[in-house]
Formats: sequence, structure tokens, C-alpha cells
Amino acid sequence: MNLKLGKYWVWFAGISAALMLITVLLAVYYAPVAASSVKTANELFPSIEGSTITVAGFVADREIMNPIRYPEDPPVTAIILADFSDYRRYLDAVVAGDLEGEWWTVEPITVRGPYLPLGTNVSATGEVVATLDSSSFMLSCDSSDDVVELSSPGEAGIMTSPISQKIFYFHMPSAWVSYVGFFLTLVFGVMYLRTRNRTYDRVAASSAELGVLFATIAIVTGPVWAKEEWGVYWRWDDTKLVTTFVMWLVYIGYLMLRAAVVDHSVRARISAVYGILGFVTMPMSLLSSRIAPLIRSSHPQVIASSSGGLSMEAGITIGIAVVAFTFLFITMLIKRVEIEESEDELEELKRRVGGEE
Amino acid sequence: MANEFTALYVAYTIVWAGVFVYLLYLFMRQRSITKNIELLKQELSKHGK
Repeated sequence: MNLKLGKYWVWFAGISAALMLITVLLAVYYAPVAASSVKTANELFPSIEGSTITVAGFVADREIMNPIRYPEDPPVTAIILADFSDYRRYLDAVVAGDLEGEWWTVEPITVRGPYLPLGTNVSATGEVVATLDSSSFMLSCDSSDDVVELSSPGEAGIMTSPISQKIFYFHMPSAWVSYVGFFLTLVFGVMYLRTRNRTYDRVAASSAELGVLFATIAIVTGPVWAKEEWGVYWRWDDTKLVTTFVMWLVYIGYLMLRAAVVDHSVRARISAVYGILGFVTMPMSLLSSRIAPLIRSSHPQVIASSSGGLSMEAGITIGIAVVAFTFLFITMLIKRVEIEESEDELEELKRRVGGEE
Repeated sequence: MANEFTALYVAYTIVWAGVFVYLLYLFMRQRSITKNIELLKQELSKHGK
């Protein structure tokens, strides 16, 4: 069986190129610098005075790298991730207190002195003693008399690095088509096991290879953004990052397995089973940032629920980017399957020539 | 701000470089396979198969 899509390849390639060009133009000139609208502190915390909350996250501001600070220095600004029971939100935290003594207690380590190293995991539990204005409040920590002032960065300021946030318009669609690729590997693997039709194995293998390509792009571009936004390239305690990395490794293993087995039917059968079992990593990666706060992840959610969502301009841009990457994926898949067919033809010819000699 | 643009350029370059290198790899692989197929077909036709 042949998919007979090869004759449409030029059309798919042309549409992909046009959509990609439109995506670049939209991402650079049309899309807003911040992907999400941000609610003010009062909207997020309607009546929090007197309540005890825990703020947790990690230090991601380069300025905190300065190891020596003096009492006359201005308060240190930390970007931390507020972690409450039902939503997560980046907040600017201006840490005030006795600069000469011990600051607020952070977990899992206690910072001694006015110095929070980059990447430090921090949390502070305390009572909200006052709501300062529409976007900030004061938190009195249990551990000391120090006070932590938190403020929402405002409507356009959720991202500390707004320009690099435009990476999102290519990072997220890359991740999306990698998920599509791994899903197709599952579907066509099942179809191969049911029918033993060689075409299904070709599509499964091609989908996995493309999935790995786009997952690699997503995994590499993500840290470029993270370095600007979080101050670190990678966080091993972030479930989204780790599960995506595991998924990537699993499908690298799929490709290595196919390369290692010579016999066609054995390779197709084993890799179909591997592709089905390996697919369990895909929903783990896809859903890992959505099932917080059960599992910790500071990875942004594209389609937020209670905590906001995409603006119209960002939604249009990301929508077109997803369509563009999907067309690009189909274009590459058609070509890749053609190559698999050609390789089979080559093997058959080699067998005939070898048999003749 | 300059660093932010650098990050943007780096990320976009990674995306496009990844796509173009893979497409180049596909076309080179296809060309190589097609060439080998033609050679083997000629070999077989020489032997009357």
C-alpha cells in the first residue's frame, strides 16, 4: 500500500513555507511581548489579609548574583514563583528586612546574610499583614520579624524578559508537532501489529524521527528562553522539563532500536511494541504542568484556567504557528515515508543482485 | 534588552537551522538511495533480469 501523497508534496511544502513566513512576521511585529494577561494582586487575592500563605519558588534574578550587599544597598529584587493551592503566578518579591542579620528563612536551605544565590529554591510561610495596593501585599514570615513584600508585575509584565518571550511562538508549536509525531507512532504501530502492513511501519518510524527532531528543537529553544526568564537554563526539579527530556530519550531509544535490528519484520514488530509502550511518556510530558500543584512545575501554561490566558493577538499568532508547524510536519513526513519506501526498494534490489551472484 | 534580542535570534536560528539541516539530510539521503537504485537496476538489466 502506498499513501500516494508524494504528488502533493510540493503543495504542502509551498503552504508550509508561506505559513512559516506569516508566523515569523506575526511573531516579530504583531504578537504582544507577553503571552498572558495578568490579574492584579487584589483579583488574585481578594481577601487575604490575616490569612497564612506559603510562597515558594526559586531565585531567578541576575542581580542577586552579587554576593556582597551592604545595609545602604536597595532591597534585593527576586523573581519567585508563588505557589498557592489552586494557581501559580510569577511575582516580583522585594525582600525587606535586616540586611545585617539573618533574612527570611528559605527552604531547603537557610540563607545567611543578604544574599540569595541564583537558582536557590525558596519558600516563605507567613501571615499577610496588609494589602498595599491593587498589586502588592505584605507577608510577615513565621521565621523572623522580617517582612516580604510581594507585588504582581502588572498587565504586561508577567515575563521578566518580554522580547525573548517571542521564542514561545516557535517553541510551543515544535513541542506540539513532536507530540503529534509520537501519537502517530503509537497509532501506526498498533495498525502495523494488526495488519502487518509494511506501510504502517514506515509511517510509524518516520513519525518518530520527526517527533524527535521537533522535540529536540523544543528542548533546545526552551532553555534559551529559560535563561532569560528564570536565570537558569534548566531546572531538574521541574516536572515539565524532566518528563519532556525523558520522553525525548525514550524516542531516541526507539530510533536506536530500529537502527540495531536488521530483519525487517522483526524490527517492525519490536519497534511497534516499543512505540506503544513508550507513548506513556507523551501524556506525562503534555500534562505535567497542568496537574500542578500536585506536582511542581514552573513551566508556563499556554491555555490557562483561573490564572489568565492568551491575549487575542498572541492567540492568533500561536494558532497560525501551530498550523504552520503541522503543515511542515506533514510535508516532512511525506518525504520521509518516500525515503523509507525507496530504502525498501533498494534492499529488495540488493537481495536480487546478491541472489543472482 | 540587547541580551533578550540575542536570545531571540539564537532560538530562531536553532529552529530554522534544525529544519533546514534535516531537510538537507533527507534530500541527500534520497539522492543517494535513488542513485544506488539506478545502479542496481542497470546491474540487473545487464544480466537480463
